Amino acid sequence: MIDDTLFFMLVVGLIISAGMLFLFIWAAKSGQFDDASKMTNGMLFDSVEDLNDAIKKEKSIKESKKDIKKEDK
Amino acid sequence: MIKIECNHCHLSFDEKIMIKENDLNFCCGGCQSVYHILKSENLDSFYEKLGNKTIKAPLQVSNDDLSKFDSENFLNSYTTITKDGFVQIDLILEGIHCAACVWLNEKVLYDTKGVIEANINFTTNKARVVFNSDILKLSDIIKKIRSVGYNAYAYDSSIADKEASKAKQDYFVRIMVAVVCTMNIMMLSVAKYTGFFTGMSIEVKNMIHLAEFILATPVLFFSGFVFYKGAYFGLKNRIVNMDLLVSSGATMTYVYSLFVLFGAKGESYFDSVAMIITFVLIGKYLEVIGKKSAIDTLDKIKSTLPLEAIVVKDGKKETKALNLVQVGDLIELKIGEKVPVDGKIISGNASFDESSLTGESIPVYKKTGDNIFSGTVILDSTILFEVVKDFKNSTFSSIVTLLEDSLNSKPKIQTLANKISRRFSLIILSIAFITFLVWYYFGLDLGFYFEGVNQFERSFITAISVVVIACPCALALATPMASLVGISELAKKSLLFKEAKFIETIANATTVVFDKTGTLTKGELEVSFVEFFNKDERSINLLYSLLDSSNHPVSIAVKRYIKENFEVSNVSLEDIKNIEAKGLSARYENIEILGGNEALLKEFDVKINIHLNSKFTQYLFCIDKKIVANFELKDELKDDAKELIEYLKEQNIESIMLTGDNNFVASSIAKELEISNYKANLTPKDKADFIKDLKNSGKTVVMVGDGVNDSVALASSDVAIAMGNSADISMMVSDVVMLNSKLKSLKDAFIISKKTYKHIKQNLAFSLIYNTITIPIAAAGFIIPLFAALSMSLSSLVVVLNSLRIKIK
Repeated sequence: MIDDTLFFMLVVGLIISAGMLFLFIWAAKSGQFDDASKMTNGMLFDSVEDLNDAIKKEKSIKESKKDIKKEDK
Repeated sequence: MIKIECNHCHLSFDEKIMIKENDLNFCCGGCQSVYHILKSENLDSFYEKLGNKTIKAPLQVSNDDLSKFDSENFLNSYTTITKDGFVQIDLILEGIHCAACVWLNEKVLYDTKGVIEANINFTTNKARVVFNSDILKLSDIIKKIRSVGYNAYAYDSSIADKEASKAKQDYFVRIMVAVVCTMNIMMLSVAKYTGFFTGMSIEVKNMIHLAEFILATPVLFFSGFVFYKGAYFGLKNRIVNMDLLVSSGATMTYVYSLFVLFGAKGESYFDSVAMIITFVLIGKYLEVIGKKSAIDTLDKIKSTLPLEAIVVKDGKKETKALNLVQVGDLIELKIGEKVPVDGKIISGNASFDESSLTGESIPVYKKTGDNIFSGTVILDSTILFEVVKDFKNSTFSSIVTLLEDSLNSKPKIQTLANKISRRFSLIILSIAFITFLVWYYFGLDLGFYFEGVNQFERSFITAISVVVIACPCALALATPMASLVGISELAKKSLLFKEAKFIETIANATTVVFDKTGTLTKGELEVSFVEFFNKDERSINLLYSLLDSSNHPVSIAVKRYIKENFEVSNVSLEDIKNIEAKGLSARYENIEILGGNEALLKEFDVKINIHLNSKFTQYLFCIDKKIVANFELKDELKDDAKELIEYLKEQNIESIMLTGDNNFVASSIAKELEISNYKANLTPKDKADFIKDLKNSGKTVVMVGDGVNDSVALASSDVAIAMGNSADISMMVSDVVMLNSKLKSLKDAFIISKKTYKHIKQNLAFSLIYNTITIPIAAAGFIIPLFAALSMSLSSLVVVLNSLRIKIK
């Protein structure tokens, strides 16, 4: 009985850590850790305004790319 | 005097010199204008983000050269077109010192219409900007960056740069996988070892073994892949290297543990496999980071080199790319520009800042007919010169080539650990092989725990157990562990080691070669002697105002002295004239005032009735043809210079001083420091040759320097140490960078390196003793589980703990 519980916990533990590791690798490959000093300062810039800016940035990138595609057609 | 804070840069200055505006105070016009730009564009949350931190005063760059950014030549060499049809440019930003600066620049760029993407790397100050060339010109982007007080240079993002970034990311992922898995294994090991002493059912034990197997596999084959690769290339070149030792040790331990997992009696050592790979990998990662930052600095140097020159032909001016400039062309050079190629002055006189070649900050005066060298900066006039050498063969370019050559031919230092481990791994692998043969041939069965395995398996497991017990833990960890602790201790003292092996070289150094200017001395002029013939308030104010209108190093040094010792206020002078390489003349209410050297006074027919010590830099001040004050300026010694030289003497390390300065100054500094061996009037190449001669005579040479003029010598030495305020090129070629420029840190570098090396030797000695005891036991098959488990962990623990002792003072 105890063995089964142990086994279950071990498997769950391994799956969780594998998941975390996978997330981390995804983040590293997308370049989020390329700049160590910027990364550690990033959390200071989390006001509503900053977050809105971030969304605006992403939108503007998407939209300008769309415009170009339309022009091509 | 009351000091108050500037509202923009937060630096504190004397109240009198501040520009006041209602409640606001600014230290300079630059701060003031940037402050207003930020307010008007709703960017003032910059100050909130800046907090109490101070920043440097904003750079004020004239926008005269903006047109060059839009020239076809420039765009072709620096920009690329993205697949969406936008233009992408890589820039290096100047003036970034905090996260708020990064935020401000990104925000300013994103708010500009036409900018698609702007990403600034805080660590390297590199920026990648993607913009729509239909809406926006590149010069507009540069203008935007300059308007908020920063400057940008374009750089050619090289293939090497991309590869180094990729390698860094690749290692980072490998390390993370290794760390996550190893930490999990360690946790399971706690359970396993506890169970070993308190009793544990065989099912639970197998379960733990299985989990460890799952965790150790990616560590060995994914994270440890670099070691297999290293070992393979080593073997291909017939070299037994550290990689082979690590990979073969880890693999054999892994295979042995597999046998245990699938039924053989004994303990599994998946934890050792994971731990070794992880620790040694972290050591390798430091090397990769070092390589990346070297490339980053190389990019910075290249970005400051001019790309074009104004060629005058038949009275017409034409902009030409530098590689198209031919010998015999006439080139016009304006104030503040860098000389692009070597040449001979045809018309005009000017002072040149030759610090990049000689290391001396005092400008050199050149007149028509004199030769000028690329890499120097023209300070106070416009000249026309004839090209003598083309771009590739010019001084600055050839220094860069010389550097690259010395870097490529730099001999690999054979470290003690490498030497020992190379022999050791060969011996161990042969002992293991012999053990296998002996066991198999004679059908030995000395052990008492192999049941149900055939003779081949029995012999194989015993042979592996020799490798497992001998190789990995203690020996593979002996150097990396101590080096890691040593490097982190050194980093705390602001010393960045690019590779761990330099610790050993520094510890064994026999000779230290110093550059004079900027290394042993402060590298800036200070007033060493003053004589006043008239000290009233008016003369002091006139002197101060005259000094204030020049940014010549001598003027700045005297101004600093006056400001520190007198109450001053600015008066408005008229008719200020800059007389090249001599000084300044001006008028104040029809009185003629002069400030400069002896030559200036002679030119204005002033009678010199005082004794002048012509060996030092002079600054004389005259009112109405009468000498009012006489200053002598000297480059002062750094605070801890004496202490450092004394320490080196105690350690029987020879100190030598090299300088491009004249013999008189060199000998007075050498005398003050009690350095018996010094050489003056050296060119960059002389310095490098001197170092090579020292090395050829069998000495281990540490070179300490700062300027571009030292870079070739730095690259030729065994270990190069660059001061923190060094030219980028020197930092790039150096193996150690001192983040501050204090000589005390240099002393620390020697102390900590020697200590670390002592601990490395202790670790190696311990592991060798440990191995001579355990290998015979393992070869005889007497590796009983209790003994193996304990000795495996204890040997690593001893090495780790001994390495940590480096931290204890």
